[in-house]
Amino acid sequence: MIKNITKGKVDTSRNIDSHNHVTGRSIYVDDLPELQGTLYLAVFGSPVAHGHLRSVDLSAAEKLPGVFRIFTAKDIPGANQIGGIIPDEPLLADKEVHFHEMPIALVAAESEAIAMEAAKLITAEIDPLPVIIDPREAFAKGHISGSPRTFQLGDSNKAFAECAHIFEGKADSGGQEHLYIETQGAYAIPMENGSLRIASSTQGPTAVQRTIAGVLGIPMHKIEVDVTRLGGGFGGKEDQASAWGAMVALVAHLTNKPAKFVLHRMDDMRMTGKRNPYSSDYKIGLDKDYKIIAYEATFYQNSGAAADLSPAILERTLFHLNNSYYIPNVLATAYSCRTNLPPNTAFRGFGGPQGMFVIESAIHQAANTLGIDPIVIQEANLLKDGDVFPYGQIAKEAEAISCWEESKERFDLKKIREEVANFNANNEALKKGLALMPICFGISFTNTMMNNARALVHVYSDGSIGVSTGAVEMGQGVNTKMLQVAAHYFAVAPERIKIESTNTTRVANTSPTAASSTADLNGKALAHACTQILDRLKEVAASSLDTSADKITLKNETVYVDDIASDLQWEQLILSAFQQRVNLSAKGHYSTPTIHFDKTTEKGHPFAYHVYGTAIFVSTVDCIRGTYTFDAVKIVHDFGASMNRMIDLGQTEGGLVQGIGWMTMEEVIYDETGRLRSDALSTYKIPDIYAVPKEIDVHFLKTDGSDMALFKSKAVGEPPLLYGVGAYFSVINAVRAFNPNWMPEFYDAPITPEKVLMGLYAI
Amino acid sequence: MGQIKLSINGKSYTIDADESMPLLWAVRDFVGLTGSKFGCGIAQCGACTMHMDGEPIRSCSVPLASAKGKKITTIEGIGTEDKLHAVQEAWIEEQVPQCGYCQSGQIMSAVALLKTHASPTDEQIDEAMQGNICRCGTYDRIRKAIKRAAVG
Repeated sequence: MIKNITKGKVDTSRNIDSHNHVTGRSIYVDDLPELQGTLYLAVFGSPVAHGHLRSVDLSAAEKLPGVFRIFTAKDIPGANQIGGIIPDEPLLADKEVHFHEMPIALVAAESEAIAMEAAKLITAEIDPLPVIIDPREAFAKGHISGSPRTFQLGDSNKAFAECAHIFEGKADSGGQEHLYIETQGAYAIPMENGSLRIASSTQGPTAVQRTIAGVLGIPMHKIEVDVTRLGGGFGGKEDQASAWGAMVALVAHLTNKPAKFVLHRMDDMRMTGKRNPYSSDYKIGLDKDYKIIAYEATFYQNSGAAADLSPAILERTLFHLNNSYYIPNVLATAYSCRTNLPPNTAFRGFGGPQGMFVIESAIHQAANTLGIDPIVIQEANLLKDGDVFPYGQIAKEAEAISCWEESKERFDLKKIREEVANFNANNEALKKGLALMPICFGISFTNTMMNNARALVHVYSDGSIGVSTGAVEMGQGVNTKMLQVAAHYFAVAPERIKIESTNTTRVANTSPTAASSTADLNGKALAHACTQILDRLKEVAASSLDTSADKITLKNETVYVDDIASDLQWEQLILSAFQQRVNLSAKGHYSTPTIHFDKTTEKGHPFAYHVYGTAIFVSTVDCIRGTYTFDAVKIVHDFGASMNRMIDLGQTEGGLVQGIGWMTMEEVIYDETGRLRSDALSTYKIPDIYAVPKEIDVHFLKTDGSDMALFKSKAVGEPPLLYGVGAYFSVINAVRAFNPNWMPEFYDAPITPEKVLMGLYAI
Repeated sequence: MGQIKLSINGKSYTIDADESMPLLWAVRDFVGLTGSKFGCGIAQCGACTMHMDGEPIRSCSVPLASAKGKKITTIEGIGTEDKLHAVQEAWIEEQVPQCGYCQSGQIMSAVALLKTHASPTDEQIDEAMQGNICRCGTYDRIRKAIKRAAVG
């Protein structure tokens, strides 16, 4: 679509931000010029994880020179409420505190240093209450958010009676700190008539706007939220950017001064939620041919102290409980368990990876107990067209088997197996582990209502174009994809097009940039806007060239009549249209067709399409130290007809690395008092250059793609993270090569070097 | 507080600040060069990497007292408007950046590496870059880009 464009310097096969990124010119919230009189904020957070808040003493802090004013819950003019799905989360603690470092007071001072110093002088009188950090304990005590959810297909009870093999077990997966390198932040500027303009590092500009309007008790139209880009989000800024936006807005609203808050790293780590940890029970039944006939699971999700997005995350765990396997009889129930941790939240995969880890654990246990390779069970159960998912959707254009088969052939699985076996036979201190990880991920927000987007396009009288959508650029390259869409429809050089910031006054009521579906939704809305203008331009061209509009096409900035180039060029065409008073602006809208879901029956067709893939992992475990490395990860991935291979490949490589981190080294540790112990980069380890696989080989599966995807190019943000689950099992398999008598007591990710050592030398 | 003279990207600056102020703050807030980023504040992420007399440093943890009289180079000082540094070119060719936030620090570490090792081995690359964290996970491309810049 872009190769017809020969003019210009912008190459849309590359990320359009590349040049600014490598020269340090890209602008993030903390880089915005600051206005004179700006106040800087700091939070006084609860020193305990649970308790009755008796009183707060601000007196010492208020006396500190440079402190402008300190705010508590009683200063909030509107609703002291930031809960996105369930209204259960105050902005500032009022009567109770529910997690360690829960914001209680907000200091505004003339410098960041003074604000932070003042926050340290605040004290609170709190009567402690019992602290729960474990989801099963919360469940036992009845601390559940929302209703439990149950997905059922067939009759698992009856099916288990017919199974040749039945296995039961437990699988836990840990939290994951987002660790976007740009911490949370926002900057509010008071405007006239009580309006506010807020720059926010958020995936959800509308969520920030709506939250602020509620907290201040003023209409949404008084709040303008603008997002240039994010220094990483990964789900952590989908709902949890709202608190900081609301704080700067509160201060700006009450003081009529600009207010800025960029969190310090340790505050960000302590005060924000993470990927939901899960503890789950499973029961799997197979027939004599290793077909999975029945599967039951109970998922205990650790939601933390408020619902946040956890109810929606819980739902996606159920949607992905079968990964890419067909299981005819399923019964699975999921509980969102309320604990005294910071509210856990979205993280790339959104509960899907947590559900998939459980079925992969079940398969691993079954295979190892039966003395066969898990690959045998995985292969025997891959989804094919016509199979039904537990939620009633019928698999269509399923690529589970094609990805699996191609990965085996292309990467010569037989040879890899032999190499691993030979290596293990000839080495004592080092052992290799092999694991395959097929994936399947549903694309769409599972909340059907959210699957729509809008775009606003202006063609200016000089032929340049401004494009606004609801998509937030956070490194996933969505702005480049939006530019590709506009360049394709207008057939102009890409440098004519500017992708504007994401702004709630230009594009309203946006869904957050999330669920991997932002390019699909906003790109299709943008296409709708572009075609409206294009249709008007064709009328102008037809009248000028004395022909009919249906004979007009645009290519390379030139008007063609019946595929023959005319003399009419883009700039002249636009000028003519402008002079003829033609509307050169359009807004587009898109809402995903065909999708629906009924929560009362838990059945429907919630996803526009699915993304598939298979990864082959080979790891090497150092059996003296318990450390491990990944020799190679070889992937066949279903990109559809990728519209930008470099960007899509980058998402795959990066998602894979993040998934490996979650499953292996990233260990979120809270002590029994609910205090985060892994609260800095020195105590929380994420993948560095040493941790990435020595070889990453990604092959693009050849398919036609899906019509439901933008330019048939499938969504790519989240699915690759799911491959990380394979890292866990490849390490487990290497440990078992050293100590064949060992099986994990239960599956417990991340598999840190400490756990590896325990496995290596377990008796 | 006091008048502190700094040399940044070949220019002299006099700023009125406390000697204990981290260099990163001075460069971003006083000098106005915002390409270097705050990531962690404890020299564990590398987003604030600059050069001091050619050596890569974590400017969030270097006080102004230590930077006086030294030549400081930031991401803004390694290329020109017309010609990017070879490492920056390689970064674009290999399409390294995703969100971009850590990348100025990554590039400054890579530039320092190539000054001391014109053709670094994989081990030397890993050792030089280990202190620069990228949450988008662009490490594979960072390795490729360093090799490309070394050849170029």
